[in-house]
Amino acid sequence: MPIGTDLLLHEEPEPEVARNHGPALGRVIERAARRWGTPLAIPLMDLRLEKIDLLTLAGIPEHEADRFHFDTPIAPSALAALCRRDAPIFRAGSLARNEALTWIDTRTNLIPVGMTIGPFSLMTRLLADPIGAVAQAGSGMTSEDSVQLAQQCLQMAEAAVLRSIRSQVEHGARAMMICEPAACTAFLSPRQIRAGSPVFEQFVMEPNLRLKRFLDHAGCDLIFHNCGELIDSMVEDFAQRLHPVILSLGSSRRLWEDARLVPDDVVLYGNLPTKSFYSDGAMPVEEVMRRTEELIANMRACGHPHIVGSECDVLFVPGAADAIRAKVEAMMQVAAPA
Amino acid sequence: MAFNDLYDAVLNGEAQKATAATKQALEAGAAPMQLISDAMVPAMAEVGRLYESGEYFVPELLLAGRAMKSAMELLRPLLAASGDRPNTRVVIGTVKGDLHDIGKNLVASMLEGGGFEVIDLGADVAPERFVAAVAERQPQVVCLSSLLTVTMPCMKTTIEALTAAGLRNQVKVLIGGAPVTSQYAKEIGADGYTDNASGAVGLVRSVVSAA
Repeated sequence: MPIGTDLLLHEEPEPEVARNHGPALGRVIERAARRWGTPLAIPLMDLRLEKIDLLTLAGIPEHEADRFHFDTPIAPSALAALCRRDAPIFRAGSLARNEALTWIDTRTNLIPVGMTIGPFSLMTRLLADPIGAVAQAGSGMTSEDSVQLAQQCLQMAEAAVLRSIRSQVEHGARAMMICEPAACTAFLSPRQIRAGSPVFEQFVMEPNLRLKRFLDHAGCDLIFHNCGELIDSMVEDFAQRLHPVILSLGSSRRLWEDARLVPDDVVLYGNLPTKSFYSDGAMPVEEVMRRTEELIANMRACGHPHIVGSECDVLFVPGAADAIRAKVEAMMQVAAPA
Repeated sequence: MAFNDLYDAVLNGEAQKATAATKQALEAGAAPMQLISDAMVPAMAEVGRLYESGEYFVPELLLAGRAMKSAMELLRPLLAASGDRPNTRVVIGTVKGDLHDIGKNLVASMLEGGGFEVIDLGADVAPERFVAAVAERQPQVVCLSSLLTVTMPCMKTTIEALTAAGLRNQVKVLIGGAPVTSQYAKEIGADGYTDNASGAVGLVRSVVSAA
């Protein structure tokens, strides 16, 4: 679980040094897997890396990556350059992630898992107003500049994600976690989808299906993560058409009800509300244990394969590491005999 | 007729139609404040109702907010010239270290659509900028947004800065954002919390009327 790796990273004397040093990061990932008894070596859920790598190609310095958005349509030659399959530039975080994969692959008996943001979610980070652009696309305003820019950004995003995936597979990843938290009802209107708009198909499914084909060809399993608010048809598309080995969903979903939408050979993962683990008031340890017991009981009753886990990574909350760790331990303690 | 057209354009999130209907109404002699109170505020209230009932989603809220904004751009200079202004002023911003502004922008749109004057400080706003804005603009409400768990503690820092500046009792502080909870609002001494943009309108009304 990414939350475990993040917690252990922050036990390091210098977390930021370990984050950017492949062997050190590999050791943290291994320790997290050992501590919580999983064969999966899951890295940090750092969903900034592909944007940093892409913007480096565009000449944007790393320290400006968070603030940077494309605001005008991109010239075809520039777009082609940013979509290059063989673009060589990777920044420190991506290099460390790759080296950590190799470290896990060559020095442990764990399964090295890669990690990437999904193309749609990356696209939303390349635009200042992604919801507006996607909503306009969904209402058929395809000639608007903002829609065309969104389509260009999606094209760049897919290329950047593919470069990241290919590189991680080359460094030993045997499963790939694609995180698409933005492919949800906050960014894609169910009203438009129900009215027949192809926006979800074109912006989310088509790029992810192409990535799935690449992974299949490379012999790398897909773990698909989406902790956003979803409607049933989205869950069905992710489960049935992307057909990941593991489908990881957010705490807004009831996994035992979702089981009817998911093929039997797709393991459901999750989905304790880890985003609120930082707060003892909102989510006391007792409530974590109660919810874990309820989840396990309901999943046993429905008979669908399931791994108890977090709904998402929880990025470090200053001053709350102990509270988060106590709840992760409580969750795993309840799950252990299950 | 233009009032109905403006109402429909905002409700359906059609910015160009909202602009055209506003122009038409102004040319026909409508008062800017009347366009706001009789067409735009009711339209945004209906948008909020549709969102609460699950018929509208965030994209519809955003498109409606954009349509309203495009109409407001025509009205704002006229309102300034006439001295006509809403009774309640809100300062809003995403706290220091956090560059996310989608949620904050949505709340700002809904508040403007609710008939409030909104002063948007943007994203990555340091506590001292909130303090300066409160001192200078004298709002009744300050809204703090944070999407990241790592920046959430800056909401507390901002409230502490308002207290240190002797301004805390002048304003109600409301907070929101994906990782935020009502419990967290209590823990840091905020006056309220809402988990969606639509709910912000009612929350501002309730804290202002209770003051």
